[in-house]
Order: sequence, then structure tokens, then C-alpha cells
Amino acid sequence: MSATALTRPWTAPARKRAFLNAIAIGVPLALGAAAVTWRLAGVGAAIATLTVGLALSLLIALRLAARFDQDWLIRTLDARRPDMEDSAALLFADNATLGPLQRLQQARLTARIDADTPDRLAPEWQRRSIALTAIAALIIVALALLWPRPGQGPPTLAPASEGVAAAPGIPRLVAQNLRILPPAYTGLPVRDSQSLDARVPHGSRLEWTLRFDPQASVPRLLMLGSQPLALRRDGEDWIASRTADAAFLYRVDPAAGRGPTPPLHRIDAIADAVPQVKAISPKASLTLVTRGQRSWSPTFTATDDYGVAASARLRITLAIGEGENVTFTEREIAVTGSGPARDRRFTPRLDFGTLGFGPGSDMVVQLIVRDNRSPAPQEARSPSLILRWPSAQQPEGSGLEGMVNTVLPAYFRSQRQVIIDAEALLKQKSRLSADRYLARSASIGTDQQILRGRYSQFLGGEESAQPQLPTADADAETHHDGDGHDHGPPRQPAPGFGVAEDVLADYGHPHDDSAASSLDPETRAILKNAVDEMWQSEVHLRQGHPDLALPFAYRALRFIKEVQQATRIFLSRVGPELPPIDPSRRMTGKREGAASRTLAVAPVERGDGPAAAAWRALGDGPGAIRGPIALDALDRWVRSEAARLPDPLALSGALDAVRRDPDCTPCRAKLRGLLWTAMERPSARPARRVAPNANGTRYLRAIEGAAP
Amino acid sequence: MTIERIVAALLILTVLMASLRLVLWQRSSPSAPWRLAALLLLQPLCAGLLFLTLFPPPTPTTGDTLRIATAGTPRLAAAAPGAPLIILPEAGDISGDENAPDLATALRRHPAVGTITVLGEGLPPRDLEAARAVAVRFPPPPPRPGISHIAPPRSVAAGEAFRVGGQLTALPRATIDLLDPAGRVTDSATPDADGYFTLTGTARAAGTTAFTLRVRDGQRVVEQAAVPLLVTDSLAPRLLILAAAPGPEVKYLRRWATDAGFTVTTQMSAGGGIALGDPAIAINGATLRRFDLAIVDDRSWAAQRGVLIGAAREGLGLILRPSGPIDGATRAQWRALGFGIGSGDLAPIALPKVAAPALSSTRLGIGSTDAPVDIATPDDLLPDVSRLPLAPAAQAPTLLQDASDAPLAQWRAIGTGRIALFAGVDSYALTLTGHRALHNDWWNALLRTVIRPASGVQQSGLIGWANARLTLCGLSAPTPVERPDGRRSTLLPVQGCAAFWPDSAGWHRTGTGKSFYIYPAKALPAMRAARDRAAMLALRPPTATDRAGDSAPGPSWPFALAWLIASALLWLLERARRGRQSAM
Repeated sequence: MSATALTRPWTAPARKRAFLNAIAIGVPLALGAAAVTWRLAGVGAAIATLTVGLALSLLIALRLAARFDQDWLIRTLDARRPDMEDSAALLFADNATLGPLQRLQQARLTARIDADTPDRLAPEWQRRSIALTAIAALIIVALALLWPRPGQGPPTLAPASEGVAAAPGIPRLVAQNLRILPPAYTGLPVRDSQSLDARVPHGSRLEWTLRFDPQASVPRLLMLGSQPLALRRDGEDWIASRTADAAFLYRVDPAAGRGPTPPLHRIDAIADAVPQVKAISPKASLTLVTRGQRSWSPTFTATDDYGVAASARLRITLAIGEGENVTFTEREIAVTGSGPARDRRFTPRLDFGTLGFGPGSDMVVQLIVRDNRSPAPQEARSPSLILRWPSAQQPEGSGLEGMVNTVLPAYFRSQRQVIIDAEALLKQKSRLSADRYLARSASIGTDQQILRGRYSQFLGGEESAQPQLPTADADAETHHDGDGHDHGPPRQPAPGFGVAEDVLADYGHPHDDSAASSLDPETRAILKNAVDEMWQSEVHLRQGHPDLALPFAYRALRFIKEVQQATRIFLSRVGPELPPIDPSRRMTGKREGAASRTLAVAPVERGDGPAAAAWRALGDGPGAIRGPIALDALDRWVRSEAARLPDPLALSGALDAVRRDPDCTPCRAKLRGLLWTAMERPSARPARRVAPNANGTRYLRAIEGAAP
Repeated sequence: MTIERIVAALLILTVLMASLRLVLWQRSSPSAPWRLAALLLLQPLCAGLLFLTLFPPPTPTTGDTLRIATAGTPRLAAAAPGAPLIILPEAGDISGDENAPDLATALRRHPAVGTITVLGEGLPPRDLEAARAVAVRFPPPPPRPGISHIAPPRSVAAGEAFRVGGQLTALPRATIDLLDPAGRVTDSATPDADGYFTLTGTARAAGTTAFTLRVRDGQRVVEQAAVPLLVTDSLAPRLLILAAAPGPEVKYLRRWATDAGFTVTTQMSAGGGIALGDPAIAINGATLRRFDLAIVDDRSWAAQRGVLIGAAREGLGLILRPSGPIDGATRAQWRALGFGIGSGDLAPIALPKVAAPALSSTRLGIGSTDAPVDIATPDDLLPDVSRLPLAPAAQAPTLLQDASDAPLAQWRAIGTGRIALFAGVDSYALTLTGHRALHNDWWNALLRTVIRPASGVQQSGLIGWANARLTLCGLSAPTPVERPDGRRSTLLPVQGCAAFWPDSAGWHRTGTGKSFYIYPAKALPAMRAARDRAAMLALRPPTATDRAGDSAPGPSWPFALAWLIASALLWLLERARRGRQSAM
């Protein structure tokens, strides 16, 4: 019989018993702790506590069980079994190391060992501990489940502190409780206020529980400025309830007006704040599309005092198109926020392809969030973020600056520029290589071509047509692309020459569709001549003969000057339409209908009359009234002007205090102080200067050199 | 080094040399030790007596000087030697030679007195009259920390912004708050190096009220004092606005003045004889006499100069304003009037920093439907308001300054009227950007300075304390005074002035409609002390002709006699043969 074969059956019952003992103690404890946690911190925490508690119990139980090993067995056999003769260790000793006598003894023990069962060696059930723990756990669980929650069950009344002297036979408030049940959406717990003054969320339900001594018959809650609230008897106590829709002042009237007047209490209704939305990224309101960007993810955060609805709407406005041909599309998509309810983060991903967003378009996004107020959620909008995809063709520009009046000077300057460039090239001819000279000349020719194209627009788009070759140059060599020699680097029309001056194309547009029709036939003829000369100039420039081109260029310039003097181009404006000036009346000296006029002006309505009057009456200066003051006018004024006043409720309260006790100096001072905050600041009429006396007048006149 | 010290040093030197000689002598020809000791003792005695003969110790003089104990006199003053100590009631419970109810009594009891020494903080106003009869020596005590001066505005129009000036003494790191009657802080400042401060508040409706000055050292409140404010409703001024062209500046000025309840007549020329605004009036001396104020732009000024100047001499308040850059002729004319208008272009006005909303809301009243409250916040853009270059001028005091201390308006008297120049252009932009209060303050300050004078203007400015005598002047007949609690007393004027003994703090009102504020007896102690101290220092100090006070040099003959005896003894001892061991 090997040692292990012997150990296992002999220790197993003890181990099992120890394990079960520990588990029987640990599990109730874990359950108790879980119940307490559930009460304090909710289900999640309770489950966690239970898991941890059970795991801990298991661990401890296993460790305790592990103590029952071979050494324990030897000790216990030696102690419990006299027939083991204090040599139980021999049972587990290695045969090889034993002497003959030891072997003999071992054999005897092996024979005897089964005389008793291993169960007898197991430790006792720890009945007391198990029972105590179970009872304690039961109590804890019961307490955790049944302990009264605040706001549930009958409230505990707090002693009243009305500061009213007791009068025999007249009921008096002795104990009070104000239970505040905030609206469910706020997620705030029900709470009991021991004071009768409270600041409560708007829409909360208020439940008063009051006790009077001696017992009152018809106690009421007197609301300042509205109907009194009757109290309902409930055993010893009196109960009333009301919803806090607005701030109000009230007093507990235990004895229907008999006895001293108790002080006012104030309930402030804190309105639910509108959610705040901020754009986190991008910071700037205008962002440009980066190269290769396929989607856009602006980030917004929304905060609210009670919570922001998880789903918000994103309003996307797409402005697609250029110039006046812009189409707007507007759509709203739903976005879901992440993060805690009070501070949500919205990161919509806007895919350009899905939205149809392309070059030359603007995308304007605005997030619209709602809070969780019920019944009517409040809505807030974020600032608009604009994503712009600039078009490749259109230069950046905005507004109407430099409208149209520099159109012709700009063209004029351009022809002048061609001449200047050509002359400069002629001067440098000796220093330049032939190729370079030709290239420069051709480049000026390109400029000339662009300019010619622009003027051709006014002639009805003849730029694309081959100009008629003037007879003088009929034999001139014509050029085509690919005819074997270089025309210089082709110019892209967009950047560079003439673009900055091209105000007409940018900001104006001709009077009607055809540019040519804005000109009279005479001007058209001159302009045509100019374009013809430009053509000649261009031909020579492209051939590398700026000297030959110059006369034509000069002639073109002269024609353009004539055009400029001859005519105006009428352009319709983009922007405000002013009434046309009647030229027939200008500078004629006739002024029918233009006459002196009286411009009436009426002063604004102002009014803090009752407040100012009461303020004067409450003071100690002129106009003071030391006895009772008629405050009805002020009371009416406070009610009607409540929206303008910073704290109408406090004013009403102070007013009530003064009315009740006209001789109460601190009450009067308090009301006067509050009235100061409720007065307008009139636009000052300057106080008069004190007139100088006779001597002063004489002095003032004398220093002016006048006769005294 | 005084002559006494030189003589004393010489004498000590002589004694030392003589002692040395004695010791040397003793070694060469020894004599009895007692003789040496006696000689050594007698020599310093002799020297001391000689010194006292030359400079006899001062003896307290009696008869023609007195010491007066006032509030704050140290308890041990009686122990110090000097003239008799008279205890005035303010000195409290200290012992002296004599108690007197006031200084006049003390002087009556000591008719020979020509000089008094005042101990403590100084005589109360009650005794100043009596103190003028004698020379007063007054070592001023260190100033008491606190508000040593306060200058409440004499008269404030309803709604006007006012300034409270004052001075703090011995509180270099204090902060001063101005609290409005509702107890809100409406302005805060730290005093400058000399302790001066200026705070701004705004009035509301007419009546009497009191703001509060609160001096804080960190969070600790050092002192609180009321700033009495008499807010009066004045007659609606009649204002003429002349403009050579319609424009926003005129429009908003007209709107402002109309809303403030002025009687406004606006005359805007639109060229070619066409006038806009109110029905046209002729501008001449007779019509201008009907107005209290005229706001005239540079081009109207050029057209009506003579008439306007003439009317201003008769009392009209004239305000000149540029409608833009002005031409050289106008510039020269305005410079000739004494205004420091410089050459150069328009410069932007440095607008004052917008106060925190908590402060600025206390300066505005509640809004109305027509004019809701409109507060610029510090984040708002500042409007673009510019001004003509204006330099401080000798003849024309500066009336308004912008935040960079550049003059914005100046005024000068001309005849019985006044002319002001407002250098700002387009001040209307303020009303459109939430700075309506600033626009109002600027124009109100301008109008208030130059407005046509009127008789019967109510002003306060008298500061008194409860249980302190007050003199009210400007009374021609017995006049009742109404105390804060409603009791009435009658003032009996003598030569136009009457004495009044206020026994309670608060607003008092005379039968002539004049209101004045009386502080509680314990309010503003530092200011009372500073006032008394200044009054004391203004009294006649003792001059050479007065007796030199309480310590005249005493008689010298007893010391001379003693010296003679000591010298004779010394001589005798030195000559005597006793104790000298005979050398032979």
C-alpha cells in the first residue's frame, strides 16, 4: 500500500468537511455584502460584489481544506488512535529506509489501520458559526431590502422654526416636512427637505406634511398672489401637494388668520437649461477640403444639466454649383452620440460620394440636439460649420468690391502692356540668342492673342473664327499647331496675364446674353478695327518680329482708346438695386417736391413710477413717509412688470413684510434695497449749474472785456 | 555738536588730564591714599558744577503755559515734568492737574497763559475758537489709518453717473468698493500712491439715498462709510441741435435727448435752403435766449458764429462738435477760443475697458420694452469712434478723457455762459454696440458742464456728525429743520448763519428745501481726526516772542556757589600739608 493511496482516502472526508464549513460561512457573508451594495450602488455593483465574495469564499475554503495533508493525518492518527502507538508516520515511510523492527511495526499498523473509518477523523461541523453567520446575513439582507428609502413611506417631520410666538388656543406649526419629487426625466432622487424653503427643479411635485399644536381645524397654505392651497388631514398630520411650475412665496396659515402672521417661505423653480452644443473640431467655421479627402467628420459636444438625447439631427446644406447657378439642397440625417448623457459627443461621418459633394461646392452642417425634458424637449443648434471644396477654375473672391467701373481701363492697360513688352524685347535683342528671342516674342504674341480674344467677345465671339487677313498681310505666313516650329509655351488662360483685370467675368455680366449687343454699331466697328490690328500684331509677334508688330499694336491701342471714349458698357449689377436716378431732374435747379420736412420723434415709454415713489417714501429724505405706506400700486406694478425685474419674488416678499409691519425698520431697508435693483436708470437730465451771484457775474463779464 | 557738548567734552578732558597728573604725582612723591582719593573725587565734582553753572538745567515754568490733554493722550502724560496738565473731557479717564469742560474754561482759569501744548489728537472744533487766543504747540500724532477724506457729489441728477472721490491714509494695500443701496458692489478701485481714489456709481430716481464705501485690506473690512447722495430731478433742459447736414450722429443725439425728456429742437440743413428736423426757427439772439443748450457742428458754427458766441455770453451753453475732419479756418477759430485743438487727422478713441457684467449690471437699471437692457460684454468688438486731436489747453480745462488719457472734450467760460468742444466724431456708434451708458455719460457730462445757470439749484455737500455742532449758512429768516425721525427744530440765523446740533444720523432737511446728511458720531473717525488735525496745524504756533514753552533754563547761581566752594576745597586740599609725606 503506497503512501498516497493511504493519504487520499484518509484525508478526503476531513478536507470535504473543512471546505463545506468555510463555504457555509462565506456564502451568507457574500450575499449580505451584495445586498448592501445593491442598495447603495445598484445591481451592477451588487453582482460584482457577489462574484468577488463567492470567489473569495471559495479561495479561503480551498486553502483551509488544503491544510488537511499527510502531516495532519499522521498527527491526528497518533493523537486519536492509541492502536497506532505514536508511530503513524511509519505508514507513510519509504520501505527501503526502514529497519527490520520498523518494518515489523509498519506491518502491524497497516493491519490495524482499517479498524476505524476515515470519517471519524473529519473536523466537526461548525454549527454555531454557520448559524450565526446565516442569521447575520439574513438580517443584513432584510435591512438592505427594507430600510426606508428617502422619499418613500411616511416622512420624518422636522421641528418647525417659524419664529412665531405661541398663543394659547391658537394652532401653531410644530413640525414640518417638504417632500420634493423631481420630474422623472431629471433622474434626481426624491428628497425630503426639513426647511419649507427650497430650490427645486421646474415641474417637481411638492408634498408638504405639517403638524400643528393644538390640532388645527382648517389650516391652509397661503400663496402670495394666488389661490390658497387647502391642507388635507392625514391622521395627526396635514398634507398638501402642488407642482412647482414657477417660483412662488407662501406661508403656512394654521389658524385661518387668527394669531400672529407666520413668515413667508420661498420655493424657487430651477428651469431646465437648454442644452449647449459646441463644435470641437474643426475649430474654424470654414474649412477647405484637403487633397484626397473623401469624407468629413466634424465633432460636436452637447452638454445639458439633466441629459442630452442620444440621437440628434444633423442638418446638411449643400451648395453645389458656381456663380449664379448654385443649387441648394438641404437634408437632415440622424446621428447618434456617445458618452455620458450629460456630456455627449457626436461625430457624424459625412461621405462625399453619398452626399454628392464635389468641387466647387460648399457643405454646411449644423447639429440639432434635444435634451430629455418631457413633455417638450428643448432644442439647441450648434454653430454652422462650412466645408468648402474650391473649384479649380474660379479664383477665390467674395463681395462686390471693385464692381465694374475699371473694366475698360484694365483692357487698355493690357494692350499697353503688350507694347511695353515688345519694346523691351527689341532693346534686349542684341543680348539674346535667336531661339530665346523668338520664344519671348512668341510669348508676347500669346498675350496679344488672349487680349484679342477678350475684345472679340464684344464682337460676338469671333475669337474662335479665323480673322480675315488684312490685305496688306495677305501673303503672310500662317501658322498652325504642328506646323513644324515652336509657338512658345502655350499659355493657360487661367493664371497670369489679364486675369486680375478680368473683373467683368468675375463680378459683372453683360447687359444681355450677347456681349456684342451692349455696344452700338459705331463702337463695334472701331472695336473690330482694333481686333484686326491686334491680329496683325499677334502674327508678327509669333513670327519673332516684334519690330514689325509694334505699329499694329500701337494702332490697336489707339482704336481701343477711341472705343473707351466713345461708349460705355452697361452692366447689370449683382447686389442691391437702387432706384434709378432721374437724369432729367439732375442739376436743373427745379425742386418740386423737395421741401423742408419735419421729422417727428417720440420719446420711448419709460415707467418705474410706483417703484421710485415707494423708494422715496421708504427713505428718510424728502418725500419720506414714516407711517404706513400705501403699497398697492407697487404691488400691482411688481406683478405686471415681473418679466423686467431681476427678482420679483424677493420684492413681493419684502413688500409683504413691510405691509404686515410698517414700523419694522430692517424690513423697510430691505425693501428699499430691493427697489433699487428694480428701478430704471433714467437718461440723465443734466442738473442745472448754480447761477453766479452778482459779483460772480460781474467778474465773468469783466474777464471777457465787457462792461460790468 | 552743540555748545554744551563741546564744553562737556573739554571739561571731561581736563578732568582726565588732571587725574593723570595726580596719579603721576602720587608715584613721584607718595602721599596718603585718602588725600589722593579726595583730590580725584573733587576734580570731576568741580567740573560738573562748572558745567551746570554754565548750562543750568531747565526748570518747568508755570503760569504762562499749559498742557492740554485731548483724545488719545497717553496715560502717563501727567508723570512727565512740565506745565500743569489740563484734562479735557475727550481725554477720558486720566489723571492730571486739573479738569476743564473745555479749553475756554481752562484759559479763563489761567488768564496769564500765552502758550498751550496740546497732547493727543488735537482739540475738537469746539475749542478751536478759544485756541486762537493763544499760541498752540501741537506735535501731530501719526495719522489714523482709514478714510481721511470723502467727497460725495454735491448734487446728482436722476440717472446720472457720479463720482465719489476720497483719500485713504496709512492703508497702502487696501481696496475700496462702492456698494449701491442694494448692497451690490458697483465699483472697485485701489488708491494711488497718495491714497486718492475715485469711484463711479449711477443714480436712479430722484430722492435721497446713500451708497457705501467699503475699505478692505484683503478680505478684512477695515472701514465702512456712507456716501450720501441727493438725487434731484431738474427741469427739462431746452436743447437746440444745429447740424449742417443730416447724419447718424444728429439722429442719435436727438433720440437720446428726446428719450431723456429734453425739449429738443433740431435743425438740419439739407442744402439749398431745405431744412429737416423740427419746424424751422430763426437763429438769433432772441430765439437762442429760449434755449439752455446748443449742440452745433462745425459747418453750422461757421455759418452762425457771431450769433452763437453772443448767445453764449448771455448764458447759453454751447457745445461744438466736428462732423468729421475740419477745415483750417474752423480749426483756427476753435483754437482762438482757447481749445487745444491740434493739427492732424482723426485718431481713434481709446474706449474704456468694459467692466465685468456683474459690475456693469449694477450700473444699469432695469430695461423697458422700448429700451431693453443692453450691456456690452468684454468680448464684444469695440465700435470705431474717432476724435480730433486735442491737447490739454491752459484756458480750457479738460472735461472728458478717453481711456488713454487723451482729452476728449474741453470747456471754457465765456461771459456768463460756457463753451465746450467735444472732439469725438461718430459717437453714435456707441449706442449701437452696447455702450449706450458711455454715450449717455459723455453727453451728459458735456451738457451738465455748460448748461445755462439757473437759480434755486439744490445742492448738498455739507458733512456733519451727530452730536457735533454744525453751522448752516445762507439763511435769512428763522427756518425749521426736519430731522430724520420727523422732529422739527427751528434755526435762528445770525448774520445768515445758524448753529445746529444734530442728535441723530441721517438726512435732514431745512425749510428752504436744502437737504444735508449727518453721519453717525462714530462714522469716519479718520476723517474727523484728519479734519481736526488740519485745523490744529492751522493754529498759530509759538514764535520767538512767545515764551519758550514749558522748559526755561533755571537759575545758575546755586551751581556757581557750589562750584566756588568745591574749588576752594580742592585748592585747600592741594595746598595743605596734611597727609603729604614729607620728602625731607
